Amino acid sequence: MAAESSPPSGPAHEHVLVARDLVRRYGDLTAVDGVSFHIDPGETYGLLGPNGAGKTTTISIVAGLIPAHAGTVTVAGRPMGPGEVGAKRSIGLVPQDLAIYPELTARENLAFFGRLQGMRGKPLTRRIDEVLDLIALSDRAKDATKEFSGGMKRRLNIGIGLLHAPTLLILDEPTVGVDPQSRNAILESVEALSGGGMAVLYTTHYMEEAERLCDRIAIVDSGRIQAEGTRSELITLTGGLDYIRLTGAGEIGAAATALRGLDAVVQVVADRHVLTLTVREAPTAVAGVVTTATATGMTLSEVEIVRPDLESVFLHLTGKALRD
Amino acid sequence: MRQLWTMTASDLRQRVRDKSVIIFGLVVPLALMFVFNLTIGSTNDIALKPLTIAASVPADDALAATLVTALTQVDSFAITVDKVSADEAGARVRSAKAQLAVVVPDGFGDAVRQGRAAVIDVTEGDGSGIETDIALSVMRGVLDHLSASAVVVNAGLPSGVAPDRLGALAEQAATATPTVRLTEGKASTEQLSTSGALVAGQAGLFLLFTVGFGVLGLVAEREQGTMARLRSMPMRPGLIVAAKGLVSYILGVVATTVLLTVGARFFDVSFGSPTAVAALVLCAVAAATSLMFIIARVARTAEQASIAQSILALVLGVAGGAFFPLAATGLAGRLLDLNPIAAFTQGLGITAGGGGLADIGVPVAIMLGFAVIGLALSRLVPDRGREL
Repeated sequence: MAAESSPPSGPAHEHVLVARDLVRRYGDLTAVDGVSFHIDPGETYGLLGPNGAGKTTTISIVAGLIPAHAGTVTVAGRPMGPGEVGAKRSIGLVPQDLAIYPELTARENLAFFGRLQGMRGKPLTRRIDEVLDLIALSDRAKDATKEFSGGMKRRLNIGIGLLHAPTLLILDEPTVGVDPQSRNAILESVEALSGGGMAVLYTTHYMEEAERLCDRIAIVDSGRIQAEGTRSELITLTGGLDYIRLTGAGEIGAAATALRGLDAVVQVVADRHVLTLTVREAPTAVAGVVTTATATGMTLSEVEIVRPDLESVFLHLTGKALRD
Repeated sequence: MRQLWTMTASDLRQRVRDKSVIIFGLVVPLALMFVFNLTIGSTNDIALKPLTIAASVPADDALAATLVTALTQVDSFAITVDKVSADEAGARVRSAKAQLAVVVPDGFGDAVRQGRAAVIDVTEGDGSGIETDIALSVMRGVLDHLSASAVVVNAGLPSGVAPDRLGALAEQAATATPTVRLTEGKASTEQLSTSGALVAGQAGLFLLFTVGFGVLGLVAEREQGTMARLRSMPMRPGLIVAAKGLVSYILGVVATTVLLTVGARFFDVSFGSPTAVAALVLCAVAAATSLMFIIARVARTAEQASIAQSILALVLGVAGGAFFPLAATGLAGRLLDLNPIAAFTQGLGITAGGGGLADIGVPVAIMLGFAVIGLALSRLVPDRGREL
């Protein structure tokens, strides 16, 4: 059910992850402000929000990198925190930064982190081979990673996170700065993992990734979960409203003011050369919108009617575009 | 424990592969040792040249003859005394055939015995060097000794001592062997040669750079993102810090041992008891490593850490005599003594002078005290780079 986040119900051990009322402050800034959610086995859960929304701080708490100032995290039934060794055995973290050693080969990187996870001998060797196959780096296993392309490093970054077959894989913006081909390969890998029963916590500011991968999505802004649910549940939050996007030049400010006066227009957001209008019945309203915009001095280069999507939901909930 | 060793071994492998520790921990300090030894090290190895003295000495004057005898007994370098006339002595110096002319006047011996004044003329040639100064110092020593006879005569005359008895006493005072003697011995402190001090100082200075390759890796891991992954591993966060400290310690001990061994061999220096030297190395590395923990807490970036490390190394290195010995008294002197590099060099001076484990208590205490205080401070100062 799409709604603002609330503490998850039911016994914690039924969920792979339970986060309750998490709070984290940096001085006067509250980066995470009462965040609660849970993830079930085999589920891919997305934290969708712009940069600075509090996603990375949230997963830093969930992964036990930093303590929460309030609230609790439980992973596989065990309490999670910086000193909680037991809970950390159940997670695999893929940080946003490339957390690999450039002087080591791909195999050495995997072996190093595998040993820190307690893996040894033949099982470790066998698992490294499997992961190298999965991330398509078997033929480059003996090369120092400083010679790898950005996409190869990203794939290895993910491979290290899932080496020990964790119960919960945490991916923090894994496709940032990746070319389209590698990005697609990464997304396919994540889809395959969740299909295999692994729970995945996935943060992104790309709406398409959240829509494609996530069973449930939390829309995060200003350190809070604004809404949570499946894609279709979230879209219902827009109340069936459509969007018209006007791109152009000239008197954009004046056009925005005039458009707000139209009965069909619920909301207008101006972003440099683009006006995004939340409207009732876009096909009917579009003629009046175009006439008003051009009459107030805006020269239109593109008019687009947009069906409700997660970006629409974000816009509806926060009054700003996701890319902000 | 396995995780600690896994991290330590991986770090060491990376440091060896990227060659930085080999370049900055071994090659650069050895090269600097060679350069400094060529320049500063040679200033103490002065080769004294033979000296020719043209001397005019009255015949049958035993006291005057003692002057010449004393000069020829100098064994640090060769002194040739040519006995010539008074005029010839001056001419030889002017024509550069001798570097020093000495003219002892007639009746010199009688004047000494009777407590009268006597003047010896000395002329130095152009370009006289340290050899001439040494010869003059020897002559002054002899003349001081002879002056004792004048004191005897001047003290005896008012007392009514017979003149012939007084003359005998004066001659005895002038020629007798001194009853007070100076015996030269060796103490087990500060016995480093210039080359030895350079090797020790450079090893101490670069130790502060070498240990940075371990502990300051904490800052680098934070920057490159691997710290987040390490902290998500199922182990106590303290193990990460311990592994970096262990890497620093191993690199510091190995590099310093190599520098001292190679430096000692190339520059013909002996640091004495290997056991005592090993104890000094272990303590110096502990002190240097503790400093890196403070930098790792204070620095936000690897660049900041590198700058702080360089400043600290140069300040402590210069104050510790890595390039040239610094002498200070009072509070400044005490502060200099508390410097771990100075304590390390001082300790090596003691071992080089024959001291053993029992003699290096003070420098060891200074270095260990420094290590303890450094580690305590590293826990107290705010961790500026930790916030994600």
